[in-house]
Amino acid sequence: MSQAETKSRFGVGASLLRKEDDRHLLGRGHFVADVKLPDTQDVAFVRSQHAHARIKGITVPPDAKPCVFTAQDLPEIKPMRAVPQVPGFRPSGYPALATDKVRYVGEVIAACVAPSRAEAEDLAATVEVDFEVLPPVVDAAAAAAKQAPSLLHEQWPDNMFIERVIQGGDIDAAAREAEIVVRREYKMHRQVGVPLEGRGVLAYRDRRLDELVVYTSTQVPHTIRLGLSEMLGIEERRIRVVAPDVGGGFGTKARLSQEEVTVAALALHVDHPVRWIEDRSEHLLTAIHCREHLYRMTAYADRRGRILGLDAELIVDAGAYALWPNGPFLETGMAARNLPGPYAIRHHRVKTFTVATNKSPIGPYRGVGRPGACFAIERTLDEVARAVGRDPLEVRIENMVRPEQMPYTSVAGMIFDGGDYPQGAKLCAETLNLTTIRARQKRGEPDGRLIGVGFGAYSEQTAHGCGEWVTRGAPFIPGYESCHARLMSDGSLVLMVGIQSHGQGLETTLSQIAHQELGIDPVRVSVRHGDTDISPFGMGTIASRSMVMAGGAVARATRLLREKMLRIGAHLLQADPADVRWEDGAVAGPSGTVRLEEIARIAHLRMEQLPDGVDPLLEVTATYEPALDTGVFSYATHGAVVAVDPQTGLVEVLDYAVAEDCGTVVNPMIVDGQIRGGVIQGIGTALYEEIPYDSQGQPLAATFADYLMPGAAEMPEIKIAHLHTPTPHTEYGMKGMGEGGAIAPPAAIANAVRDALASIGAELNETPMTPRRVLAAIRTAAKRPAAPAAAGNRRA
Amino acid sequence: MTQVRLTVNGKPVADDVPARLSLADFLRERRNLTGTHLGCEHGVCGACTVLVDGEPARACLMLAVACEGRDVRTIEGLENDKIVAALRQAFKEHHGLQCGFCTPAMLITARDLISRKRAGSDGEIRKGLSGNICRCTGYTNIVTAVGHAAKAVASGGGE
Repeated sequence: MSQAETKSRFGVGASLLRKEDDRHLLGRGHFVADVKLPDTQDVAFVRSQHAHARIKGITVPPDAKPCVFTAQDLPEIKPMRAVPQVPGFRPSGYPALATDKVRYVGEVIAACVAPSRAEAEDLAATVEVDFEVLPPVVDAAAAAAKQAPSLLHEQWPDNMFIERVIQGGDIDAAAREAEIVVRREYKMHRQVGVPLEGRGVLAYRDRRLDELVVYTSTQVPHTIRLGLSEMLGIEERRIRVVAPDVGGGFGTKARLSQEEVTVAALALHVDHPVRWIEDRSEHLLTAIHCREHLYRMTAYADRRGRILGLDAELIVDAGAYALWPNGPFLETGMAARNLPGPYAIRHHRVKTFTVATNKSPIGPYRGVGRPGACFAIERTLDEVARAVGRDPLEVRIENMVRPEQMPYTSVAGMIFDGGDYPQGAKLCAETLNLTTIRARQKRGEPDGRLIGVGFGAYSEQTAHGCGEWVTRGAPFIPGYESCHARLMSDGSLVLMVGIQSHGQGLETTLSQIAHQELGIDPVRVSVRHGDTDISPFGMGTIASRSMVMAGGAVARATRLLREKMLRIGAHLLQADPADVRWEDGAVAGPSGTVRLEEIARIAHLRMEQLPDGVDPLLEVTATYEPALDTGVFSYATHGAVVAVDPQTGLVEVLDYAVAEDCGTVVNPMIVDGQIRGGVIQGIGTALYEEIPYDSQGQPLAATFADYLMPGAAEMPEIKIAHLHTPTPHTEYGMKGMGEGGAIAPPAAIANAVRDALASIGAELNETPMTPRRVLAAIRTAAKRPAAPAAAGNRRA
Repeated sequence: MTQVRLTVNGKPVADDVPARLSLADFLRERRNLTGTHLGCEHGVCGACTVLVDGEPARACLMLAVACEGRDVRTIEGLENDKIVAALRQAFKEHHGLQCGFCTPAMLITARDLISRKRAGSDGEIRKGLSGNICRCTGYTNIVTAVGHAAKAVASGGGE
């Protein structure tokens, strides 16, 4: 088989079917709740019913005492303390079990241990907590204006984690030059990630190995071990963290949780394994929340619609605590720096407020700060276009960074490494068949619904290396990834990696990389991940990085193996090392070939045949960081066609298209799957998902009856078109793309709704765009006196 | 404790269970049939779907004691089922799963749609799957896979 043939079947660029599928299709996946250990007992937590209260006392019935654990019973646990290297950031301890105060509904107060979850919940119901209720901080905007009714963290002067201005260029110059000024306020409401498998932790003490074993449904097992070591005061060598099959994460499982620390601590106090399997209400109330952003935007533009500058206020409702290790400014900083989008905007000022409120702490969820930033800039861009009376797509394209400007340093200091952004927007419009939609729009719908089309574009920083994380002030720098490669004596290969694959198919795609370098059949490759005992340290599967980072590490490790095998092979062929080459899984020389399997056998079992100075074994550890440490930027334009029913306010997505470029694609089937999954999550953000809080800080979505998830019946098919601009800065030219799908749907759909309602003059600047909000927007527009839109915005 | 006797994956089973034990917990904790997943425990997500007397049911909403004398089949009991075999093949070929958590129940629901001839069009499949949430795939590939499996079954294939 020629190299070209092997590449097309198994290597980089092949839609190889997934190695992961068979076990799941047989119902033999192995998730935390499926791990069975004798005598395991279940944990149920006593949680706060109040948003903000002082704990005056906790009463446990005497017979329940041995099975109920409060902070007093586990004094060795240190509070989780996120200390990002960001000047002005106020750290706050996040206790694993509440001590003097609770700061959000659902915060853990005590752990109850019993033979079954039902019995543990019975126990939890017997624990009485005496609360002194305090006024809750629920409105982040009021808190940002220093008008909160109380202080969450009493050692702070106000409720701000951090106030910081992020700026570039000269916004006053933009204001002076502007012929058009557009002002809007945008709100993206609070959500939660909702992987279908909730969180779960199982911990026990392994007496023989003298270690604490923690199975947890996490994306970042090595980081969790680090955190447990710090919070529990145990050396890392005595902690093993295993993430078995993980039923989705999306960022929700990328931070250390109260429950992980508490269950791990409990395992050292009882003589049997303990586990906590999250139920869905716990997830909706207490798993990492996300997205709650408020933008007050002023855009300065010229009369063609070219945006000169953005002046914005950004208020991020960060919840009660800073999650370990990064805290919430990561979200704010990312949103502020992405606010100029993929556009050549030269002046930019964002006053940011990262506010502590009596809600569940916020953290990463697919796209992190970008869906909010994209929503704000893309809605603004459409309003600028409308203000100058031009087509939003044209204005969008004119504002984009052009290919000849690449590499382009954005006003926020991000380096767009390459690509053709305008071509992406055009391709999206073609894929959506824009002309046909416009014709349909003119005809009108027989059912009275209004059709609209809208676009949203972004460029997405992925696989960022050291420099970018240092800039962000991350306490740890996930600028590299690792791989230990072990070629066995029979020529089969084990790749041990520090990432955690939970749906991304990395067991398959990393095997494809090994095939690319060694010619080995992917069925002869095992990828081991998600276990601190197996792989070198790694930062896990977050930030759209695993394919580039772990793929790069696998490429490096397998190349090192290849170099060693070339030396051994040359010796066996009695050839000069300069005269041999690697070909189809063998060393080929002038006098013949010797296969990988034979070299592997000799390297392990027949060391007398090795050349002088070559050690036995074929094992290497490699790390990898992309050549450009500021990240490689994937980009896309999304287009949505919606039908809005002006009577009911219901929005239906009729069609959806994505034109994207993530450089070299390792497995096109998997990449398209990631895009589609991301888009549907973005549609959830746009139309359905929300955790509202009432004025007392009570969360109002505690079940799937209140928290609406996108279902098969309502979701459109997603059309996908690709551009391919390989980046010179990574192995094979690949870029990350895992999060991208979720970034633009709120923007594209809101612009489509705006387009549909253009005749009414209504616009939707808040997500999710529920029927209630759509009807409210229509009513508001009806009350407003009609004014010529463009003239109204123009400078006097 | 109440004694319950039922058939699980073709085998008779008897056990003493608390009256409040759900069928899902009975299958998972007492029978070690962990392919039945719990995604919400209030009957919305569909991840716990099993067959009870041949019909899809939410194992999280049924009590084990209510299954007295009934025939329960889980994903582990469908290894030799022809329709499920066709679905497995199609799900793999069309990338109809990512994290795999919703997958066993998705197969059981899709099997029911195909066996009732309710998988004739994408629209019909989407409606039929509306009680099973998938957070990863965006559904398109699942719908495609079910459509292909339905055709394979109709043409007498399915292996």
